[in-house]
Amino acid sequence: MLVQAILVGLVGAFGCLDYQLGTLYAFRPIVLCPLVGLVLGDLQTGLAVGASLELLFMGSISIGAYVPPNETVGGVLACAFAIQLGQGTETAIALAMPIAVLSLTIGNITDAGFSIIVDIADKCAAKGNLKGIYAAHWSMGLFGCLEYFLLCGGAFYLGSDAIQGLLDFIPTFVIDGCGVAANILPAMGFAMLGRLVLTKQLVPFYFLGFLLCSYANVPVLGVALIAIIIGIDKFDLLGLGGAQPQLSAEGDEDDDF
Amino acid sequence: MTSSPENKITRSDLVKSAVNVGALGMEFSWTYYKQMNIAFCLMVANMLKKIYAGRPDDYAEALHRHCAFFNITVQFAPFVGGIAMAMEEKVARGEIEPESVNDVKAALMGPLSGIGDSIFLSTLRVVAAAVGISLCQAGNPFGPIAFLLIYNVPGFALRVWGAVKGYELGVGFLDEAQRTGLMQKIMTCVGIVGVMVVGAMCKDMFWASIPVAIGSGEDAQTLQDILDGIMPGMLGMIAFWLYYWLLSKKINPMVLIVATMVVGIIGAFFGVLA
Repeated sequence: MLVQAILVGLVGAFGCLDYQLGTLYAFRPIVLCPLVGLVLGDLQTGLAVGASLELLFMGSISIGAYVPPNETVGGVLACAFAIQLGQGTETAIALAMPIAVLSLTIGNITDAGFSIIVDIADKCAAKGNLKGIYAAHWSMGLFGCLEYFLLCGGAFYLGSDAIQGLLDFIPTFVIDGCGVAANILPAMGFAMLGRLVLTKQLVPFYFLGFLLCSYANVPVLGVALIAIIIGIDKFDLLGLGGAQPQLSAEGDEDDDF
Repeated sequence: MTSSPENKITRSDLVKSAVNVGALGMEFSWTYYKQMNIAFCLMVANMLKKIYAGRPDDYAEALHRHCAFFNITVQFAPFVGGIAMAMEEKVARGEIEPESVNDVKAALMGPLSGIGDSIFLSTLRVVAAAVGISLCQAGNPFGPIAFLLIYNVPGFALRVWGAVKGYELGVGFLDEAQRTGLMQKIMTCVGIVGVMVVGAMCKDMFWASIPVAIGSGEDAQTLQDILDGIMPGMLGMIAFWLYYWLLSKKINPMVLIVATMVVGIIGAFFGVLA
């Protein structure tokens, strides 16, 4: 159990280390849950939970002022508990969001403390002390990794019994209901993305994408490739000449409607 | 703004800067306070050392300059680094004011983050996730790997290309791109891909159904069958616009998640949702 907790903690720490590897988005459930599955000996459940949670957190990206719940800790722990307790994706979904919100709160507290290190780095820079800036960078980042390790490993080690008790207490239709909610919630993630990218000018293309998938059964990747061709053609990006599209009038319609 | 004989930064310096500890760790030491400031400074530190060789005071001043607040879509950071270094060469020769470097960096953050987030976060990431999720659901362990490759290969190409190109183009590029309308064209193109993918996912990745039987005996159909007969995936599209409308009313996403759970539980209890 202790070994498993350490492994789960390491998966969480790897999720944080991803920010040093170039923000590969390896901290997302679709990558970490299969890893959790691997270390706990149930890769298949890990893959299934990863797919479901990735959709649940689809709209959870830090764009603009919205700081999303911590999908890394939420995803790792929810998946680990689901596998440990022999449960399926419904349970993982029910657990993921509350854990993610709680870890966001903890993260915000440590972030406030980091401001001191940022100021120290600033002073080092003014003296031309490059090593000091490196030290600030690594200490902040590695502290984050340690935090993720402790949150994931610690909660997994201490929390299994509590979560088991909670699950025994909750009636099955509630867990089933969370499964239903997980089937609906991707639409909310898509709507959050839509709020970022959709303009009046682009609404017809939303329906084009939907209808291609709905009536012609084109898979999502196929729709994306068709969309690229439409974009290239519409704006003559290959520079082959032809009628110049009317851009000027539509340029200002980026506002909401 | 082409390279002159006095320029000290080489192509290999720029390529290295696109994949060094600072460039890749943009969000490792991220804080609300100054965001990517430390990582940006580390990204350009070696080039600054070269530009200000033998001038420790100017070097320290430059390091301090690049510790200022910075934030951008991470894949674009080396591009800004390249532009900033082209400017630093001029600062070192006394051709422009040091302050102008950070003014330009600040001016680049908004537009480049806008275009970067729409390319990487709301389009490429979504396509990558769609492919990865489909594979994962089929139990294929290649799913997460496909997700990472689709999302990151273009990102690393842009990092390296961006650092070199940013240095070559210097500050003129963005004005040029905005003036010719290229920026607007790229944004709209990316937007088309983004919304078409979102539209497709509303059909492909929405699984709730209404298994309420209508009619009886041999002719019994569920409400879901009827809806699918008219337009497959209609429910997903309706749910999308409902959420879209609720979000436009500034309702917090967390509230919507909890409300959806309540609807799901009630629906599961009465057997009208699955």
